[in-house]
Amino acid sequence: MKFEWTRLPRPLIWLFALVVGGTFVVASLDKIANPVDFAQSTYRYRMLPAGLLHPFALFMPWLELTGGLALLWPALRRGAALLVGGMNFMFVVALGAALLRGLDISCGCFGAGGHGVDLSLIGRDVLMLIACVLVMVQRR
Amino acid sequence: MLREAGVILTVTLILALAAWLLRDPRLPLVADVGVYEFEIEHPLLTADEALRFYEEGSHLFIDTREPALEGMPHLPGAMQVRPARFDDDLRAIIDFIFPEDPLILYGDGLQATAAVAGRFTERGYEQVSLLGGGLRAWRKAGGPVEEPTGGTR
Repeated sequence: MKFEWTRLPRPLIWLFALVVGGTFVVASLDKIANPVDFAQSTYRYRMLPAGLLHPFALFMPWLELTGGLALLWPALRRGAALLVGGMNFMFVVALGAALLRGLDISCGCFGAGGHGVDLSLIGRDVLMLIACVLVMVQRR
Repeated sequence: MLREAGVILTVTLILALAAWLLRDPRLPLVADVGVYEFEIEHPLLTADEALRFYEEGSHLFIDTREPALEGMPHLPGAMQVRPARFDDDLRAIIDFIFPEDPLILYGDGLQATAAVAGRFTERGYEQVSLLGGGLRAWRKAGGPVEEPTGGTR
């Protein structure tokens, strides 16, 4: 039988959705409860202009929550994978830029504080990005 | 796939907007980045650390919220210095507070509190800290709170 990336076993897609979706939902909760702390974490990356910092801090955690939950809903799964994959891509760029510039900051991935920025975080996000792409390319 | 993403984005926008409108205090849409710079230079105190300083009597506590202090729960012994009345409030307590005194500020969110903290540092106060989590974290850590009726618990 020929292997096709666009026809992966359904349980595997569910596993991807559960792991990535669950991670995003958990990551969103503290940020939704404490948008100022998240804005502070985001500010430390020094990538966003002042005018976008608070709108980003208010919107992004909710997108993590809805995107994470929608991954678990088959009817919305591919659209959610597009959005969550996009967020993962953005995180990889932000973490990579922080590493290249030698910023000594915590990632803010699950709220204020937490893990310092390093390659393992980029690896984690790349894996989630790959999972999202695989979910996206599945034929219905 | 794009339509699904559009549905999710629309729902997200509504939720985020509702959460922003219902939150008190509401985060200003345009950030004062000077406040964030201040926070980077002056790390937040945890409620446990603040409570230890309170029990040692080594720090002065400043409440930065707008309503009159007597009308709301506050730290016993805290002095009030509000962003909108900074000069008047500071003048009222100037005999009790010196530039070498270590200060711990708390209030409605870090933005407003850090704005007051920035004014203090401009006036030469060198030891200014912010209480992370504000009064809620203070209560959770078991710190005493004076209620509006005058009782303490």
